[in-house]
Amino acid sequence: MRAIEPWVLAPLRAFVEDSSARLALLMTTSGQVVAQHGFTGALDLMAAAALGTGIIASSGELALQMDWTPFRTVAHQGQRQSHFLGWFDTPHGRWVALVVFGGETKLGLVQVYFDQLVIELLAAAPPEPVQKQEVLAADFERELNASLRALFGR
Amino acid sequence: MTEPYAAPLDSLTRLRGIRGAMVVAAQDGLVVAESLMGGVKGTALAAMAANLAARVTELSVRAAVGGPRFVHLQAQDGSLLVAPAAEDLLLVAVAGRDVPLGLIRLEMLRLAERLA
Amino acid sequence: MTEDIRALSAQYAADPSSLVFLRLGEALRQRGQLEPALKIALAGLNRYPHLPDAHDLYARILADRRDYASAFDEWDTALRLAPHHLGAHKGIGFLYYRAGEPEHALYHLRVAAELDPGDEGLRAAVERVAGGREIWDVPLPVAPPTRDAETRVAPAPAAGDPFTGVEGAGQRLLLVDRDGLRLGGALAARGGRDVSEEAAASLAGVVQEAARAARLLELGEWDHLTIEGTELSACLLCPTADTSLLATMDPGNPAGQLAFYAERGAKEARAWLERAR
Repeated sequence: MRAIEPWVLAPLRAFVEDSSARLALLMTTSGQVVAQHGFTGALDLMAAAALGTGIIASSGELALQMDWTPFRTVAHQGQRQSHFLGWFDTPHGRWVALVVFGGETKLGLVQVYFDQLVIELLAAAPPEPVQKQEVLAADFERELNASLRALFGR
Repeated sequence: MTEPYAAPLDSLTRLRGIRGAMVVAAQDGLVVAESLMGGVKGTALAAMAANLAARVTELSVRAAVGGPRFVHLQAQDGSLLVAPAAEDLLLVAVAGRDVPLGLIRLEMLRLAERLA
Repeated sequence: MTEDIRALSAQYAADPSSLVFLRLGEALRQRGQLEPALKIALAGLNRYPHLPDAHDLYARILADRRDYASAFDEWDTALRLAPHHLGAHKGIGFLYYRAGEPEHALYHLRVAAELDPGDEGLRAAVERVAGGREIWDVPLPVAPPTRDAETRVAPAPAAGDPFTGVEGAGQRLLLVDRDGLRLGGALAARGGRDVSEEAAASLAGVVQEAARAARLLELGEWDHLTIEGTELSACLLCPTADTSLLATMDPGNPAGQLAFYAERGAKEARAWLERAR
């Protein structure tokens, strides 16, 4: 397990253990990876981050168009593997969690421990940064590469 | 509450000591219908009941106990009761201490049969 | 009898909160109308959950329906509420006799006979359970026989087994460590196939899940888990923090008996572990 923000590690570790998730990824809505468990390749991780945030964005847009309350979580269930996506607000902006799980656990359990993860992250989060900087495309690219290096130790 | 399950759940929650009852999807541990007293966490109850039922089913097969008809987890301050119904559903109840368990068990078995 | 039921039904309809439900439920039961009897008994029990006679009525209906496990629990509740309840002693005595535990049956039937000395049928039942030995001159024990006094003629399993001397050892009691490895005892399927190792491998997962469910649902420490299966009933508990025990019985036996049996197994396991350490 690796994290850009060290205070994320303990809550995420507890989440992975309790929910029996196979893979877990925490990221910002722009796709910047904050922490991950279980991914072994940078390309997989980047693709998962981009697609995960894309799904959250499009389901949010769908809710907006239909005048529904935005979906907080989305789940896709498969025969052998399923995934769960959920967003939540932190002092550092909106974050997205992507969780991949198999038959050793259940969606309900992932949901329960996701709620717990959010509570624990909010309790552990340092105060809101004083100044918010606008994220430029170049910065984003640099941040993404930096986060991937940190997450894979390269 | 989901209409077909309203009456069975109401009849269960009317029994003394029942804090909540629900119909749960066994496959994913999500709530199908619920009738809960304040303070009972529905999502947690559904998830825990489904996970416990899955583990118990696995044990039942391996220990040659046969398919579980009724599961009763007794704890210090109450009980978790699970009766598998057909179509991948579980009838779940959580009860306090000193409750008429025999009565609750019978009612749950009867309702689970009706849900089948 | 029909008229009785009609009259009792009218009385009950006029005042559903009256105790006439006891007579109506019993009349229906005696006529073999178990479904309506059950409804009447359950309604009465909901209204009077602390009335021993209501539990007694409900237990009799359950026994007629061959749900002996629930009947035992109901009579047990009646005895907790009223330790000298005649019907409950008779009922529990009958269930113990049926379960092949004559000493327990004898105790409850003798208490019942003392409560109703004029009941010739009851006296005959006591003598039958006593199996021809002199019973009336033997003083009645102050309490039911302890579980430790149970038969010791069961086939002895391998030496060093925690359950040596316990009835059903070698096929109905299994002790497992926290990693799912068998420590002692054995489990057999109905046909006699040994399923100990397979069951042991699954036990740790169930224990973990039971503890988690109790914790997350704020039910306090879990005590035991019972499973009513189509083939057998099983009771799971933890004799010590790092071991678990599974006890099985035929599903027709009362749930209370299964819990007693598992608890007895746990006691033997604790003693055995203590000696081993």
